Amino acid sequence: MRVLIVEDEPRLAENIARSLRESAGYAVDVAADGQEGWFLAESNTYDVVLLDLMLPQMDGMQLLTRIRQAGQLTPVLVLTARDEKESVVALLNAGADDYLTKPFDLGELLARTKALIRRGKGQPSPVLVIGDLQLNTVNRTVQRSGRTIMLTAMEYRVLEYLAHRPGAVVSKTELLEHLYDYNWEKFSNVIEVYISGLRRKLDNGSDQQLIHTVRGQGYILQD
Amino acid sequence: MLRSKSIKGRLIATVVVSQALLAAGLLFAGVFYTRRRLVSTLDAGLQARAMSVAALVRYTEDASGNVYFDDSLMPRSLDPDHPDFFAVWTERSGLLTRSSNWPAGLEIPAGPDLHWDLTWAHVTYRVWRISHVPVLDREEGQSFRPQDLTIVYAAPLIQVHEQVRAAGVFIALASLALLGATFLLALYGIRRGLLPLQRLAKQAALVSAHNWELRLPTDAEETTELRPLTQSMITMLARLERSFVQQREFLGNAAHELKTPVAVLKSTLQSLLHRPRSSEEYRAGVQESLEDLGRLERLLQWMLRLARAEQWAHGALRRDIELIDITETCEEAVERIRSLAQSRHTRIHLATNGKVLFRADPEDLQLVWQNLLENAVRYSPEGGVVEVAVTGTDGGPARIIFEDHGVGIPADELPHVFERFYRGDPSRTRATGGFGLGLAIAKALVEAYGGTITAENAPSQGTRMTVELPLNGSN
Repeated sequence: MRVLIVEDEPRLAENIARSLRESAGYAVDVAADGQEGWFLAESNTYDVVLLDLMLPQMDGMQLLTRIRQAGQLTPVLVLTARDEKESVVALLNAGADDYLTKPFDLGELLARTKALIRRGKGQPSPVLVIGDLQLNTVNRTVQRSGRTIMLTAMEYRVLEYLAHRPGAVVSKTELLEHLYDYNWEKFSNVIEVYISGLRRKLDNGSDQQLIHTVRGQGYILQD
Repeated sequence: MLRSKSIKGRLIATVVVSQALLAAGLLFAGVFYTRRRLVSTLDAGLQARAMSVAALVRYTEDASGNVYFDDSLMPRSLDPDHPDFFAVWTERSGLLTRSSNWPAGLEIPAGPDLHWDLTWAHVTYRVWRISHVPVLDREEGQSFRPQDLTIVYAAPLIQVHEQVRAAGVFIALASLALLGATFLLALYGIRRGLLPLQRLAKQAALVSAHNWELRLPTDAEETTELRPLTQSMITMLARLERSFVQQREFLGNAAHELKTPVAVLKSTLQSLLHRPRSSEEYRAGVQESLEDLGRLERLLQWMLRLARAEQWAHGALRRDIELIDITETCEEAVERIRSLAQSRHTRIHLATNGKVLFRADPEDLQLVWQNLLENAVRYSPEGGVVEVAVTGTDGGPARIIFEDHGVGIPADELPHVFERFYRGDPSRTRATGGFGLGLAIAKALVEAYGGTITAENAPSQGTRMTVELPLNGSN
């Protein structure tokens, strides 16, 4: 999963980014002003955007309106110091999906971010089930037929992304886009390495293959 | 308790009282005039009747020239209950005749013609005395000198009085009826006239902190007397709304400015606790938290300073005021800002011409200069020069000018630079480090001393801030 944080207070952005990376294993990009935020949102695909309202260059409301006008479906969580009803209503009506007032709890921020990602991909439950595979996004554990499978951080991230979109063909490019942040060099063959690792661990002791390759297109996770 | 005063009541009272006065005047004039007319008619009648009495005096058949009164032809009185009375005197023999009802003991004073009123047996009479009336009867070949008569004739005034009373009653009743009609008409007119005021009040009651719009009823707008009221209501509402909005903006800004460092602090500490860390990481985290706390503390200090300055500007606080030298406070402020200036390689040039004495708390002035200097240094290019000039002319105000050679302020932002939390471009970037309170504090303090502060773009380049303090003020 890849998250965009648009926040002009560098220390706050850094804390949120660190928390998202450490506790959820997400790839995080940080923009310090509205303009940069728009540039990143426009040229990349994010699974959720965390947006501060008071921003230099272009304020959060403008950026939000622009994102929605561009037809982007990415869930947006607004961080605001104002909690008056009118401003909250205006925010939600402008296309925000949720809001948190400063100072917020990092745990709550994390939970809301995860919930927004789930809903953005049409998954209501935090425990994703594909056949006999169970993926718990809260404590990041994977089980197959009751057997716990230990995965590396990157393997988990690949599987989590695939599990959010079961039955859909996911290309290598899409995986790269959603698993690495802006500053990362992207090599598509690393995906193949993670997929083969995943296959080995998941299918061990089972005759049913879960990850299928669609030649020239990508991968499908399905029963 | 305050007695409530009603415009309607007063207007109606005024109308009724003036109408009543008018009616009273009319009644008095009517009665007076009627009485005069009736009395003068009666007088004419009295004289005519006196003449008819004179006509009854005749000469005897002999040539003696004596006269007698022929009462067989005496006309009857008009009022049989109170008959007229009369008396006739002749020149030669005195009293000739007297009517039978002549009041006993009534003496008629001698003298020329005159008329007077006389009360006898509870009845008022009008009395006329006419002298030198010639005897009308003539004998042919009369040789003696004709005689002159003096006649006194009196008739009762009862009828006149009754008629006057009737006229008075009529006028009084008519006036009363008119008064009643006027009262009702005034009531209706005033009620209608005050209707726009009631509508205006109803609309004014709808104005609240959430709805500042005053919908003026058209009739209130068109009423000349209400125009000053509606005008001042409109301007008052505009002023109130402006200060209300400013207050709300300040609260919103203050909330944002306070919540952001708290959010940073909280997230730093939470992220530290999230998983076990090395002692190095803990140390760095605590260090960061302390820095955040420091920023929060500074912000609180600035906000308190602003609150105090504004409170003082509104006269809520008084402090130690002494006669101080403005130039000296400027020099001290430059000294305090020197390290910031040096870190940015900015030079501060201070031009003075001697002492400029002013009654103030030196801390206040130093704070003003410091804020202005800090601002000038921050917006100066690296290695630039900030110029400060202090002048105090006799009679005029002290003028302290701060000028930098930075990028200046866009013209449309100049009016806002003294607003609280206003920071150059809307970026609110923390790159310049300030909270956007320094200029607001400077303005509040300068105004507390009755001075003014203005910002303009310097003719060359950069910004010029001018402070003027009244030297001959009574502060």
